[in-house]
Amino acid sequence: MKFDIDPEAPESIVRRDFLKKLGAASTAAMMSGAPQIVRGAGVEHPEAKADACILLWMGGGMAAPETFDPKRYAPFEKGMSADSVLSTFPSIDTSVDNIKICAGMENIAKVMDRGTLLRSVVQPDLGSILHSRHQYHWHTGYVPPQTVAAPHLGAWMARVLGPNNEVMPPFINIGQRLEGVGEKEELKAFTTAGFFGSEYGPMNLPFPEEASAAVRPPEGMTGSRFSDRNKLYRQLVDRSPHREYASDFQQESLIRSMDNAYRLLSSKEREAFDIEKEPQEVREAYDTGRFGRGCLLARRLVENGARFVEVTTEYVPFLHWDTHANGHDTVSRLHNEIDRPIAQLVLDLEERGLLDRTLVIVATEFSRDAMMEGKPGSEANDQATHKVDNITEMKHYGLHRHFTGGSSVMMFGGGVKKGHLYGATADERPLIAVEDPVTITDLHATMMTAMGVSPRTVFMIEGRPFYVTQDGVGKPVKEIFA
Amino acid sequence: MRHFRPAIALFTISLTTQARAEIDFVHQVVPILKEHCSECHAGEEAEGGFSMNTRDLFLDDETAEPGKAHESYFIDLIYDPDPDYQMPPDDKPRVPENQIAVLEKWVNEGMKWEAGFTFGTPTYEPPFKPRRPELPETTDGRDHPVDRIIDHYLSSENLEQPLLIDDSTFIRRVSLDLTGLLPEADRVRRFLSDDSPTKRETLIDELLADDVPYTEHWLTFWNDLLRNDYAGTGFITGGRTQISEWLYQSLKDNKPFDAMVRELIAPADTASSGFINGIEWRGTVSAGQTLPIQFSQSLSQSFLGINMKCASCHDSFLDRWTLDDAYGLAAIYSEEPIELHRCDKPTGEAAKAAWLFPEIGNIDAAAPKDKRLKQLANLMTHPENGRVPRTIVNRLWGQLMGRGIVHPLDAMQTEPWNEDLLDWLASDFQENGYDLKHALRRITTSAAYQGATAPHQNSEEGESYTFDGPRPKRLTAEQYVDAIWQITGNAPASYDAPVARGVVDPALVEKLSFESSWVWGPSAKPGPPPHGEKILLKKEFSPGKKKVRSAGLIAAADNAYVLYLNGRKIMDGSRWSELDAAPIANAIKPSNRLLIVAENRGPKPNAAGAFCALRIEYEDGTDEIIMTDETWKVSQTVPAGSRPNNWKLDDLSWADAVAVNIAQWKEATDKRIGQTLARASAGSDRLVRASLLKADDLMRALGRPNRDQIVTSRPSELTTLEAVNLATSDDLVTDLQAGAKKLAGNLSTDALIDEVYLSTLSRFPTEAEKSFATEALGETPDEATITDLLWAVTMTPEFLIVR
Repeated sequence: MKFDIDPEAPESIVRRDFLKKLGAASTAAMMSGAPQIVRGAGVEHPEAKADACILLWMGGGMAAPETFDPKRYAPFEKGMSADSVLSTFPSIDTSVDNIKICAGMENIAKVMDRGTLLRSVVQPDLGSILHSRHQYHWHTGYVPPQTVAAPHLGAWMARVLGPNNEVMPPFINIGQRLEGVGEKEELKAFTTAGFFGSEYGPMNLPFPEEASAAVRPPEGMTGSRFSDRNKLYRQLVDRSPHREYASDFQQESLIRSMDNAYRLLSSKEREAFDIEKEPQEVREAYDTGRFGRGCLLARRLVENGARFVEVTTEYVPFLHWDTHANGHDTVSRLHNEIDRPIAQLVLDLEERGLLDRTLVIVATEFSRDAMMEGKPGSEANDQATHKVDNITEMKHYGLHRHFTGGSSVMMFGGGVKKGHLYGATADERPLIAVEDPVTITDLHATMMTAMGVSPRTVFMIEGRPFYVTQDGVGKPVKEIFA
Repeated sequence: MRHFRPAIALFTISLTTQARAEIDFVHQVVPILKEHCSECHAGEEAEGGFSMNTRDLFLDDETAEPGKAHESYFIDLIYDPDPDYQMPPDDKPRVPENQIAVLEKWVNEGMKWEAGFTFGTPTYEPPFKPRRPELPETTDGRDHPVDRIIDHYLSSENLEQPLLIDDSTFIRRVSLDLTGLLPEADRVRRFLSDDSPTKRETLIDELLADDVPYTEHWLTFWNDLLRNDYAGTGFITGGRTQISEWLYQSLKDNKPFDAMVRELIAPADTASSGFINGIEWRGTVSAGQTLPIQFSQSLSQSFLGINMKCASCHDSFLDRWTLDDAYGLAAIYSEEPIELHRCDKPTGEAAKAAWLFPEIGNIDAAAPKDKRLKQLANLMTHPENGRVPRTIVNRLWGQLMGRGIVHPLDAMQTEPWNEDLLDWLASDFQENGYDLKHALRRITTSAAYQGATAPHQNSEEGESYTFDGPRPKRLTAEQYVDAIWQITGNAPASYDAPVARGVVDPALVEKLSFESSWVWGPSAKPGPPPHGEKILLKKEFSPGKKKVRSAGLIAAADNAYVLYLNGRKIMDGSRWSELDAAPIANAIKPSNRLLIVAENRGPKPNAAGAFCALRIEYEDGTDEIIMTDETWKVSQTVPAGSRPNNWKLDDLSWADAVAVNIAQWKEATDKRIGQTLARASAGSDRLVRASLLKADDLMRALGRPNRDQIVTSRPSELTTLEAVNLATSDDLVTDLQAGAKKLAGNLSTDALIDEVYLSTLSRFPTEAEKSFATEALGETPDEATITDLLWAVTMTPEFLIVR
């Protein structure tokens, strides 16, 4: 099964005619728990440009002026005025003439000619900045709270497209711990298949170097004992008086799930989870830390048929990209962490002939600014740790406020133009998107379109149409596709 | 895309709409709309998402603009010459010009609509008031009221009575349904050999009387229904509170359901206020998710089986509830006047507090909020309110029988497959004091409940449902985890729910209500300690040979801690305002070492502290309290690794702990110390139940919902990722190994196999199974072999599906 969509669907897109297509479904059935796809609801799926998607998530708010959208460089000087700071890194040339990015990302600069850079992504003003709330919005397309549990975009791809290789879990989430970190409950709220049910949910691999443990026999169990145990299970099932229920859908699906699991666990694809299988020099090329190792793991998983893989630098309040203080130094470290592996991932995919059919996205929940919290006119509270007019110490030097008026998203492969720049932000504060602003809803539509999923794909849940892009109104940024 | 009519047409019409008299909606407009539009846009039809059932629906999505016919989209469509866009569709007759003129005039005059008029065809409308149907004659001697109704139904539909299940199937089904636990092997043996004709009823009574297991099983159902949990979104910003303690006690006391509803809707104090107060998010939220609207939605869904989520955005397409209804309920809760919003846009109309079934009374909108809530609570539990009892008995029936009498459970406007059955059960429930256990007993004692489950080839069923016995149910996440712990004895030592599992003595609460004392390392003098600092606190104590009767432990830290007793992790936490507690009588040795790893978090140096108190009661009646103070030792180095038994504590440099006492901490914890510690001391040696724990990965994968929304049914199937998890889990093997250890060596292979089958499947193995298992195990099976047998049995459909 490739698409769970009626191929006979009419081609014309008539506004909101989903109810018509429900046919004989009673209102009661529409209210029932299981989500139902609305077949042929005037939804025409675009031709897929990519078969797989890798989202490289810069959790915590990656400052565009410190990465992909450099502004006037203000080097550190004791006593400098805080509002003179736009970027704390000088800009460097890239392999594309009209694109400069920040120093520290020299490897990404070299592969800039493989992708499209969007500099004008904007977020809504939610009144108060809460990372996890914006992350929920970015990952599901819907602003929380919602009356139904909204699925993660990986779950949408898993549900609508399924895996590329049926042995592989379609949705894999690398690098984010969901226990022992702040805001973990808020992270769990969107790291889920929501109303689709856990069949489409993420396989969570917080530590890429331990990923192989998720698909190998329990610790201390030999391969032969593992397969004997499975045989024992099969024989017990065969001998059980309950085999009389063999035709029962619940019983059948349970046995099928166990079989699927065993098939993965005894497959050659299982090795995709083990980055130790890579030659030493390849591991070294990626290994800048957990994120780098995650990128290598993502490459191996996509090579073996995963549909959607997210790799995060990990969101932990006040750590990594969540720079409330010490921004410059922290971002220097993050440059080191992301620069080599991102570039290497692009090159490796290209070398294997996979880049054209793999959409790689580097994104974050919002940008940062040295002075402005939210966007012009926002009433969001200032959350910088040191509120200083003049910068006297390095810890004051950096972009310590959350900015929702203009952020950058980098896309490689997956049918996007090569060496292309889309949108622009102002040169002076406020650094808002001044050209071709792209909303989260339209960004979703763009990603889904690349993957061959109509932005108007809709499921009925509790009698409500629930679209892959918010209310089905997302419009892809067609201009970035080659 | 919008198509505008040619200018020429506009000109023509302006000449022909000069009539003086106002348009009469019912006599002039309705016939035109019925003739040309209602086939596709009224009743249950809403092609293109457009339903004209009510005026509000007509206006939804700017289909019409009252006062401005020339800006009204539906008029554009009537004029549109493009066959792909015009309305009615090109295969239907056009609307004559004189009729269009009437419609335009009607729009220009503001689209007057008859109050209460709807194009909707009335679908089934359930009765609201209670009804106690006459019971049909008894047939075949089956005189249980439920069976009299169902047997009558079966014979009038020419259906067979489902076969009755055997005792093994019964004891497993009823134990899991009423207490969530597998019956122990000995209990199964006793039950199977008991030849009393009333043994099934006796068993039901025993299970219902066993109040702690009953409570801890049904807690899951109620937590789902009332979206209560011990962690989740909203708690981090204080935008949500638990009702756990109140709920647990209510279930344990078998509080009448009407009293529960009253306490939830008009709470006397904060113990039960979490339900109506919903989940508050920092920042702005959409109009459909404000706290008053959440109140409207939650109340409707949980107690009335109404999906008010549709109607809180626009008049529902699916049932008769309107935006006014949704906001009427919301206004009962709201402190401030609220304005109706249609699809997140303000309408200018103010909501008036009102409830949905005025036939038994209404809310005094002028009364203050607490009065309004009380009025609502009274209406919900009014003797003439049959909807609330029908909704809850239908849910109970669904829990026990795998499918509701009304299906889905949250759509009570749907016609039940047997109205008499629903109405009889609801009024029986009401007449018996809203007694939940009475209702459960009624259902489980019937032959209908004790019928065999039929196989079904599809999860989805068509329009027609006929009763063919109970539906099989998959073990819930909690039941599965509990079952594994039952088989292996490997349950955790502590739990998250702030509840008392044993009986708490109020005098002890009083006695243990002391002030907390908090400590940190040397960096607290003068402080504040650096962020990211980790310290190790140590305390040794030796009760010697004194016998321990009970022991309880409580702790909290700013910002986080992990506590170990004698090398074993007891609990951890990361909220300074919450006291964690554990009963630890079994863990106390003649000499003991308590270790706490505490961590200071945050973006910059800030106050840090840890608090722990341990109370040991000895058999001789004396007791002892050990609390964090300056006699504790502290190391500013924390050894690596998570096994304290491997730490070289003597190599560390130890200083005296520093007392730090911040008013905020004490304020949050001190008033709860007596209660929490007394509770932990009272904690029995019962296995900790999964329902008392925060959801972990495994439980989430097995279908325990994030309780951010109300979710009233659990998944019926097992997914591949869950299966991968169960096949690769190290923890599961460790647990099962503990179970294997209990079995190995003590029993002959033959007896061991019986024990495994009885304790997991509540039956003896068949001969074929016995001889196969004997061969697989060998004469003296080792732990690994038994472990694998336990794993294999617990993966079979027979174990995972309750039949």
